[in-house]
Amino acid sequence: MSVLGRFSFRQGDEGDGAMQAIPAGALLWLIGAFALLLAPQWDRLPLWLVAACAVLAVWRWLAQQGRFRLPGRWLKTGVMLVLVAVYVTTVQGRFTVDTAASFFVLAVGLKWLETRTARDFYVLFFILVYLAAVNFLFQQSIIWALITFSAIGCLLVGLQILNAPALPGHVRAGWKRLGLLLLKTLPIVILLFVFFPRMAPLWSVPLVSGQARSGISDTMRPGDISNLAQSSERAFRVTFGGENPDYRDRYWRGLILDYLDGETWRQRDNEPFRRLGRVATDGGAGSLAENEYDVLMEPTDQRWAFTLENSVAASNNVFSAGEDLFRFERPADSPIRYRMALAEASSASMLELNPVQRNRYLQLPRSGNPRARALAEAMSADLNPAQLVDALMRRFREQAYYYTLRPPAMPEDGIDALLFDEKRGFCAHYAGASTFLFRAAGIPARVVVGYQGGDPGAGGEYLIVRQYDAHAWVEVWLEGRGWVRVDPTAAIAPSRIESGLRDAVEEEGSFLENDFTSLQRYQDFAALQWVGLQLDRINYQWQRWVVGYQGQSQLDLMSRLPGGMGLKELGYLTAGIVGLALLIAGVVSGLSLKSRERRDGFGRALDSWRRICQQAGVPVRGGETPMVQAERLAQARPAVAESARTFARAVNSHYYRQQPLSQRDDDLQRLKRLLKAIQRQLRQDGQRRSTGPDK
Amino acid sequence: MFSQKNLFILPTGAGVVFGILLLIMLITGINYQNSLIYLMTFVLGTVFIGAMHQTHRNLSGLTLSVARTGEGTAGDDIPFYLRLTAGKDQAVAIQVSVEDSVLEQLHIPAGATKDVVLPVPSAHRGYVRPDRIRIETRFPFGLLKAWSWLRPSSAALAYPRPLVAPEAGSQVDDGAEATAAKPVIGQDNADLRPFREGDLSQRVMWKRFARSGQMVVADWQGEQGSPHWLDFNAFPGADAELRLSYLAWLVADRVQQGARFGLNLPGEIIEPDSGLVHGERCLRALAAWGEQPPRDQDSLSYGTRKSLDAGFTGASQ
Repeated sequence: MSVLGRFSFRQGDEGDGAMQAIPAGALLWLIGAFALLLAPQWDRLPLWLVAACAVLAVWRWLAQQGRFRLPGRWLKTGVMLVLVAVYVTTVQGRFTVDTAASFFVLAVGLKWLETRTARDFYVLFFILVYLAAVNFLFQQSIIWALITFSAIGCLLVGLQILNAPALPGHVRAGWKRLGLLLLKTLPIVILLFVFFPRMAPLWSVPLVSGQARSGISDTMRPGDISNLAQSSERAFRVTFGGENPDYRDRYWRGLILDYLDGETWRQRDNEPFRRLGRVATDGGAGSLAENEYDVLMEPTDQRWAFTLENSVAASNNVFSAGEDLFRFERPADSPIRYRMALAEASSASMLELNPVQRNRYLQLPRSGNPRARALAEAMSADLNPAQLVDALMRRFREQAYYYTLRPPAMPEDGIDALLFDEKRGFCAHYAGASTFLFRAAGIPARVVVGYQGGDPGAGGEYLIVRQYDAHAWVEVWLEGRGWVRVDPTAAIAPSRIESGLRDAVEEEGSFLENDFTSLQRYQDFAALQWVGLQLDRINYQWQRWVVGYQGQSQLDLMSRLPGGMGLKELGYLTAGIVGLALLIAGVVSGLSLKSRERRDGFGRALDSWRRICQQAGVPVRGGETPMVQAERLAQARPAVAESARTFARAVNSHYYRQQPLSQRDDDLQRLKRLLKAIQRQLRQDGQRRSTGPDK
Repeated sequence: MFSQKNLFILPTGAGVVFGILLLIMLITGINYQNSLIYLMTFVLGTVFIGAMHQTHRNLSGLTLSVARTGEGTAGDDIPFYLRLTAGKDQAVAIQVSVEDSVLEQLHIPAGATKDVVLPVPSAHRGYVRPDRIRIETRFPFGLLKAWSWLRPSSAALAYPRPLVAPEAGSQVDDGAEATAAKPVIGQDNADLRPFREGDLSQRVMWKRFARSGQMVVADWQGEQGSPHWLDFNAFPGADAELRLSYLAWLVADRVQQGARFGLNLPGEIIEPDSGLVHGERCLRALAAWGEQPPRDQDSLSYGTRKSLDAGFTGASQ
């Protein structure tokens, strides 16, 4: 007794006491969560910012330990001004989601120096929760999602410690409590996730980052694609409704480069301006038809979609841009799923090139590469276009042309140098040179850029196309046949087209030579490959079914469920789920409480005692002890005086005597017996009274 | 026992901000069509609902009663000895408060009992009974608070604040005389009356008891105004509270000296005696003089009394 239960916060040896109001454990979890939340953004945050955040958080921690002081007002303002100045100079007025996100991170970092009270702790908690949401804008793979969610867990454990710092074993208990809570609420989360209506965006918000993404671009210089070949990042994944096409037919067309500007191939017309549409990251729903395929593309910040030849759009988030190319409504700033269908070869042969088009596909710079031009003239003199194409391919095949990731530099008249001197190049070199030659020979031609290939993922359910599958090839216009694909790489290095880059450059040993972290580099380690592919499969399913669960998928799912629910019905359903959750929580706590009351036999015995008193004509007054009540009952009904007093004494001794638990049951039995006796006596007494006067 | 009937639960300020944050996150999720932000919003939303249940459960099933009330001097904090008994679930981070006096971070394991002392500020002499004792918890996340009220039925006593009595010097001298006057006791001017509970054994006429078997006590009359009587009427001109303060000082003074004294209050007379127990009895009489013990106005008043055992405890004082 009389041990004051008051908990006083540990006062630091120095510094203000208010600062110590945050328990060290809680702060540590908060800092841990911050570190976890920064991790998914490692590649988009400037290094100085990450370093600054680390320093600020460590500063705060040392202050907690009493080894360092938190800065005063002036120093704090100074630190803030310096960091903001660095930020402004690095950002240089560009406003993108990236810079906004890094400003947000900077603000969080600075907040550490200000976190002194529990109130500040909550402010940081809220900011970090929102930071977690921001993370999901950039990283949606399952690993990063798990990391972000575990950061949320750390935050919630930190809150528990903040609210009960003195509780022994709070960390373990905290995680356990949180885990149970999440487990119990999981069904409701799932229901909400499935049924919450996926509305259209309220306003259009571009998420274009200022950072260059790896991937093909809309210009091609001879060395460009070989850079890309050093990256094993995923470009997109494809699931076919039917059989996978042969490797050599996996030409994923992205865009057409039809204008040679010096050495650089580019698009003559820039992409036509289109007002940014709304985000539509999911395309198509339901199972794939035999001729359909489903592409889940990583963000490219570009509008082009990659499709096989002779495809038509099967989902409404891609549209045809002519020339058998497809575009999105807006740049792909997050993973996009779209669906295409393979169609019969279009009747392009019926079409004629009009003079404008003809001129466009015959365009060449006025001068340069004289030997190539001379060769083209010589060939065109005695060959028709189709024969000329064959002749050039034969030349590539029969002469000592090499396909290499390490081409020599060819600064002057690069096409001449490639064709006649060095004879070493990558796909971009040969595609550019071939197109040049065809045009010089009067055959309309163009460079097509995209990907070629794709390796099966785990279980062979889908194909993974990586950046090193990037490819460039040629299309020529042949009268009567339309555009015909011609791939010089296929003539020089058939293995590139048959089985991919790895085999094509095997002898050279240059495959992913600079990318030591890539799993694809270590083809020989089967176990490593297997793990990588399994991870990719999990991620793919995650992206398709969880990340990609958007309006269309939802409506598709709903259309399969009975009831034919639309958005409005879903809204009602969601409200119903939330209401139901609240109701269940209430009922559960009510039931558990009821059962607890029921178990407390003493309380029940007292209730029946009061009832008996009432029935006997002795009204129960609040705050009255059983002793007093018994006395009044004894006065009113002398017949039960003795039992009533005994009962009251027994109750008193139960409540005011420390007794072992085992005795409680005996006590209770005794009370019950006494109550029965009182009732019996009252009954007998009542009978006596009612019969008494008659006698 | 706290249950739905008397438990209140509301979001704290942080809880309200959290709700707004969830809304902002939902809008972010809608605008960027980001399923994972939806998912996180739903997870945190249900955590909030779950926390409601947990915070509620943290308090429900807990029994709070006033085990005993203490005593103290007016103006000081009077201790209230509270007993908290947890139900099936443990009760974590409980806060018990009266006005500005707060006990924080009380943890009671499931089924266990914890006794705490809550200092209750007293403004003036007399019975001290806080209108209500607040019991609150914000565990686990501090986003919600559940609270309830206990309306204690037992009151503590605040003694009058002692003030040095004006004739202190002479009284002390009289006290010395009083010891000299002691032999007077036992003279014949005593009234004899039957023994009552509470009478001192020294006063029992043991010879008579040996003779007749009757317990008879000698009662001396006419001693009012004599030095070992502390008299309410001895301070002409002072108002009642002041007199009580003087008397409180005198009582403390006498007890310290180990003197023998009686207390004469209008309507209440405490026979001369000595010792700490006697002193406390006198102080209690001073504290309660002219005051009515607080009674419940109506047994159905809101709060938690009805379902509490505190009522019995209070009456046993």
